Amino acid sequence: MKRNIAPWLEAFLAVAAITWLTATLLPILGLASSALLFLLPVLMAAVRGGVGPGLFAALAGAAGYNFFLLEPRYTFRVHEFDNLISVVVLVAVALVTSRLASRLMQREAEAQERARLSAESADVSNLLAGHPSQTALARAIDLIESRYGRLLLPTNGAMPDDRAAFSSLDLAAAAWAAHNGDITGHASEVMPAADWTFLPLAPKYRRDGGVAALARPMDGTTRSSGQIEHLRQLSLLLGQGLDRQELETERRERELLEQRDHLRRTFLDSLAHDFRTPLTVISGRLSELAQQHPDARDALAAAQRLDRMMNDLIGAARIEGGSLAPHLESIDLIDVVSSTCDDLQIPAQNTLKRNVAADLPFVIADPILLRHVLSNLIDNAFRHAENTVTISAHGAGECVLLEVADDGPGVPPSEQTRIFERFARAEGSDRTDGSGLGLAIVKGFADAMAMSVTVENMDEGGARFVLAIPLAAKAVE
Amino acid sequence: MSRILCIDDEPAILRLLAVVLEADGHEAVTATSAREALAIAARDDISAVLLDLGLPDRDGLELIAALRTVRAVPILVISARSDVSEKVTALDLGASDYITKPFDGEEVRARLRAALRQSAGSHPSGGQLHYGTVRMNPERHEADVAGRQLSLTPKEYAVLLALVEAGGRILTHTALLERVWGKAHRGDVEYLRVAIRALRLKIEDDPARPQIIRNEPGVGYRLS
Repeated sequence: MKRNIAPWLEAFLAVAAITWLTATLLPILGLASSALLFLLPVLMAAVRGGVGPGLFAALAGAAGYNFFLLEPRYTFRVHEFDNLISVVVLVAVALVTSRLASRLMQREAEAQERARLSAESADVSNLLAGHPSQTALARAIDLIESRYGRLLLPTNGAMPDDRAAFSSLDLAAAAWAAHNGDITGHASEVMPAADWTFLPLAPKYRRDGGVAALARPMDGTTRSSGQIEHLRQLSLLLGQGLDRQELETERRERELLEQRDHLRRTFLDSLAHDFRTPLTVISGRLSELAQQHPDARDALAAAQRLDRMMNDLIGAARIEGGSLAPHLESIDLIDVVSSTCDDLQIPAQNTLKRNVAADLPFVIADPILLRHVLSNLIDNAFRHAENTVTISAHGAGECVLLEVADDGPGVPPSEQTRIFERFARAEGSDRTDGSGLGLAIVKGFADAMAMSVTVENMDEGGARFVLAIPLAAKAVE
Repeated sequence: MSRILCIDDEPAILRLLAVVLEADGHEAVTATSAREALAIAARDDISAVLLDLGLPDRDGLELIAALRTVRAVPILVISARSDVSEKVTALDLGASDYITKPFDGEEVRARLRAALRQSAGSHPSGGQLHYGTVRMNPERHEADVAGRQLSLTPKEYAVLLALVEAGGRILTHTALLERVWGKAHRGDVEYLRVAIRALRLKIEDDPARPQIIRNEPGVGYRLS
């Protein structure tokens, strides 16, 4: 190791100067004052150079004092005990002063290092606070790399992506760090033989954080534990930066999705509006006409069916586009069943039976979607019923089961799942008056409201559609 | 005979409304824009307004507020949009009722009759209010249905009174909650469900098929 000789030289010169001065002025100063002056180079050398130069100055001073000042002069012999004490004092002063000075210097150096590390953390924080978060993160990584060497961060998942850079020991260390939240690899306590140091990007209590990988120093040295601790703080800052980047990406994606949903909703609304205006004129005129000419009723019914089809088409588009946002609230099934049945136009040859008790528990649903679902189930039931359609409901555990049954031919077992697909018709069915979307909408809307819908054949014949509607939290009095 | 202001940007709808209203002996005064509608409302003696919310020159919801400052007549909203929140907003802004396109002529006439009857505000004397078979005397805190005395809790009474005072007009869930439970509970729709269910058990002949207190899903309650 290269030794700095300057303090030693300074100590020698200072002692030489004091020796010359005291030897010259001895008659004026006297021996005691001259001995005190020898403390000066010792103090100076100990403060500036530490123990070695201090001790050197003490010994050199003692030698000079003995050789040039003490009787007999120009020899190293010591005649009096007092003079020996002077030499010992000089050595003791050198030792104590140099210890004190070196401790102070060490503390100052530590304080400077702490200040440097704090400033570095602040720099990384400031860089990470920049915008956009992706650029900010890249700049912070550049800063750390410029001071500590190559740094790899995960872009997707817990581990850095560049697997080729790692040996099997590195990979094991990385896995340990990701799993346990410890610092592992080079200069740590876990698998220190690895080439990389793996630093958790999140505090230990968080289980979802990844790890950063920092290459060992190029010069082959081992990082100190203090440096590793500082790097851990930096990696936590980087983890926050990564979190921020992820949140920003999610926010951007959500905004895009919301914009798309809004556009789709607006488009569907204006489509419905544009469709309903002429339909209103047609059905309105037909309705007035039908009062004098009963023949017009068929045309009126067809116009009304067109409106239902339009509603189904819009419903299907909303399901397809994922823009269905149910407004779930506590509802009384009686309200939805009554409102749906009151607006129904029951075919002349059919009967609708209602068997829904007034004291069923409240359920959670979107009233508009549920009404559409029930309306489609009843419409479907009437299209297949011989005579009667029955709506009933009863509690079953955490749900209320709302059932719509008909006395028609039933659904073949092979069709019971397919029937909820779009444009599916029961095999052998010659009915073509539906949109082919009604049951797909039932399924889509039910799914959106966290309900299940199934179909079964009844022993007495006919199909029964069962909608399981979740109960609301207990009613508050 | 009443003069009814019909506002719609589609002339064919206005002609249809004229025919529908004529059948009940009303005269339709038509406007195709908000500006024209406000001018007519200020000038002519009209008894009610049929308003389509989709107008070219102004938002239909804004027009409700404007019309109400000009003339205190029932406003029936006609909407071709499926959005329920727009209907709720229209009702909360003071519209008496709403009708969805495509509408039935008979439905329009029935809703208009109810609105006109309510705006006439002919209440029998003696502090009594009534709608349909429901009679209430707020001063004496009494209520009966078809002569049958009811025993109601204060909240049930307050809900029924609000509905009777509305006289067949739909009251939104929020409006009822605010009036009976206060603004802090405007979102607690379950309070309302509990009170309505209890009321139906006391006033309906068959609570499983309510004929007096009707619900418009997602919107509110009305008496029929």
